[in-house]
Amino acid sequence: MKIGFTIAALLGSLALPAAAFDFSNLDSLKNALKTAQSVGQQVKQATEDVPEPKEIEMGGGIASNLLGAAPPLKNPAVQKYVNDVGRWLALQTERPDLPWQFAVLDDEDVNAFAAPGGYVFITKGLLMHMKSEAELAGVLAHEISHVLRKHHLNAIKKGARTGLMAEFAAQAVKEKGGNPNLLKLVNAGTELYARGLDKDDEFEADRMGVVIAARGGYDPYGLPAVLQTLQSLNAKDSKLALMFKTHPALSDRLSLLDKLMTGRFESLEGQPDLAERFGSVMGGK
Amino acid sequence: MKPWKFMFAVALALACSLAQAGETAYTVRPTALKAKPYTDAQTIDDLAQNARVEIVGRRGSWNRVKVNDKTGWVKMLALRLGETAQKSGDSGFKSLFNMASTGGSGSNMTTGVRGLDEEKLHHPQPNPQALETVHGFAVSKEEARQFARTGTLAAVRMDYLPAPAAK
Repeated sequence: MKIGFTIAALLGSLALPAAAFDFSNLDSLKNALKTAQSVGQQVKQATEDVPEPKEIEMGGGIASNLLGAAPPLKNPAVQKYVNDVGRWLALQTERPDLPWQFAVLDDEDVNAFAAPGGYVFITKGLLMHMKSEAELAGVLAHEISHVLRKHHLNAIKKGARTGLMAEFAAQAVKEKGGNPNLLKLVNAGTELYARGLDKDDEFEADRMGVVIAARGGYDPYGLPAVLQTLQSLNAKDSKLALMFKTHPALSDRLSLLDKLMTGRFESLEGQPDLAERFGSVMGGK
Repeated sequence: MKPWKFMFAVALALACSLAQAGETAYTVRPTALKAKPYTDAQTIDDLAQNARVEIVGRRGSWNRVKVNDKTGWVKMLALRLGETAQKSGDSGFKSLFNMASTGGSGSNMTTGVRGLDEEKLHHPQPNPQALETVHGFAVSKEEARQFARTGTLAAVRMDYLPAPAAK
């Protein structure tokens, strides 16, 4: 009787229509159990962690693809500066030891990208709209949050056929003759930037980003300030098209940050924005 | 003008431009115009939604604004910058940035790379050499800490914010 109750409960939880099964028919019962098992397997695989070296390997492949589309800006001082800010912020998080690598892409478009394993890229087009180190920190902190929460990694897993991620994770890091699973996952991960993440992932990165920037000692309103600047730009400008397509509306993002930050950040408002240091580096001094 | 006064004037001008001087903005909700950038400061005026203001500075979460004939402080997130206030690419540091990255007069701007369009994301070409270059830009934890010290940035402990309550 106990087994029967369990099976009934399991089938009930699958929400199968009453007519779809008949307790007197063993075959349909077996099929229902098989479905339950494979769903369970999928859930398990989707949430199984990818070992960090594999995450970094995948992220490196995705980063390489991004760099194939837009090379790094030829300005070592700016590149070092962005890495200094980014690495300092990453030290304030739960993954301080990842091999974080930041870069400015030589690209007029306004955009920023995070890839698994700690790769964070912003475009020259976006950097040019910033007015302070705190604003840069806000954007980098948002991207760092995507890596911390493994948003891209999880989205790639969800989109991959069952078992692909697990097979990839189980293979040795350096495979002779290349790794076809790696290539499939890397290309899926690259395409993701054309679709965007779930809105909730972006909202989460916003609210984590302002905290990480605050932890780094920065004025936490840097990220909202950048979002406001973007809001003031001509929405029809093609340089903004991909960013608008793949992110929630700026007004929604700002409204959420407004509600979340009011009353919680008062004591941090004196934190510096380091506009002068930002200006020196950008001005080439 | 004495050299140091000139430098100060330049620095002040720069600071003003950094603070979005003279930008038009509109209130997104009724909001108070405060005498000082604090929630419990005296209210100079109550602004309706869609009131037009001119931003003359920012400090933390507050914008210093001119509205009607008054100057006061309004919560930054109560404002929306006017679309006509800034043309695309017309930010404060654009001209400086050109100098830094091209070493020239900025003629590079019109031939800038249009890189990351969707086409390239669907048919990617890896660039392992560029990846190596990026690897070379990375800094150590100690360098990052030193960078923070130089900027007198002090780390602060703070919990992440909770997700908004589900509707």
